[in-house]
Amino acid sequence: MINPLIYFLLFLKASLFSTGGFSNLPSLHQDLLANGWAKESYFGQSIAIGQISPGPNGLWVISLGYFTYGIAGAALALIAITLPALVLVISAGYTRIEQRTWVQGAMHGVSLAVVGLLLSVVWTILHQPGVDWKGLLIAVGAFGLALSRKVNILIILGLAGLAGYLLYR
Amino acid sequence: MKLQDPRPSKWLLFRIWASVGLQSFGGGASTTFLIQRAFIEKHRWLSMEEFMYFWNLCVLTPGINLVALTVLIGKKLGGVWGIVVSLAGLLLPSAAITCLLAATFLQVENIAAVQAVLRGVIPATGGIMLIVGLNFALPLIRRSYKEGVLYLLASGVLMIACALAIILLKLSVIIVILGAILLGALFFSPGRGSPLPEDEEEQGEQQ
Repeated sequence: MINPLIYFLLFLKASLFSTGGFSNLPSLHQDLLANGWAKESYFGQSIAIGQISPGPNGLWVISLGYFTYGIAGAALALIAITLPALVLVISAGYTRIEQRTWVQGAMHGVSLAVVGLLLSVVWTILHQPGVDWKGLLIAVGAFGLALSRKVNILIILGLAGLAGYLLYR
Repeated sequence: MKLQDPRPSKWLLFRIWASVGLQSFGGGASTTFLIQRAFIEKHRWLSMEEFMYFWNLCVLTPGINLVALTVLIGKKLGGVWGIVVSLAGLLLPSAAITCLLAATFLQVENIAAVQAVLRGVIPATGGIMLIVGLNFALPLIRRSYKEGVLYLLASGVLMIACALAIILLKLSVIIVILGAILLGALFFSPGRGSPLPEDEEEQGEQQ
């Protein structure tokens, strides 16, 4: 069923073409669904579990790896998110490249693209199975609470879970 | 501020990174704060200037910025083995907990109450994700605004165009990113008379 090498390369590709913990989602969403290796609902569930568990935000892919391919999937996902950073170790001329003007323009372009990717992540999450207009209200509420920066993320998620329990039970 | 001799034992390094990882909830800001407190304030192995320099390099690195930051700090404090124990400390305990939560979820996912709770939590993560996007967007918008209205407008168009290209056109993410890099190098590079040439239709999604 799942080809481990291609599976790993898909995770690595998503990680290489991302910055921050979440912008690898659109690429994985496209590729894993196209191969039939993931269900749509895995993505929302993985993001939710990633938010609840400790560690960098990017660890949500560990959960996606586990759902799609068990412990092996989690391990391959972990390697895939670690490898791109090791580029730093071997890149010596890095700081000089940074100075070139076209690099600054390109960096601005890629940063804008990452915001676009994150918007598509929001879109994907709000189109998860089971999200209806009440769910959208919960999303708006969570956005407002997080925007205020006064409420801890875990408390927001707890309130949302409680709202879900009361609304959908 | 006097820096201490930055040669901690590998075991200590592992424990510090593990505690940073396990105390991090809800995103990069809290982790960055924990790293600063541990390595700059408590142990004084790193100066704030070094930290900022590292951070700027990490923003340019693909993948998770915090992982890159861990690599740089680990390398400074312990060479190759410093990198290995730092990454292991930051990622392994937290990843194990993530796996446990995922496994537990698979055991209980068919319980009606669990599904109801999840139907509340998932859209909430969507709202939180919008904040993550906003945090990325704000400094870009601020910088663009300084360059002029046209620059700001073009930045906004490219941002939205990338989102629509993935959502509606279902374009491959790599194509979108490479396209944004190309357009950025062409139109957003400083040091030209005007930040934008007149013919904007090359951006495609304008009409």
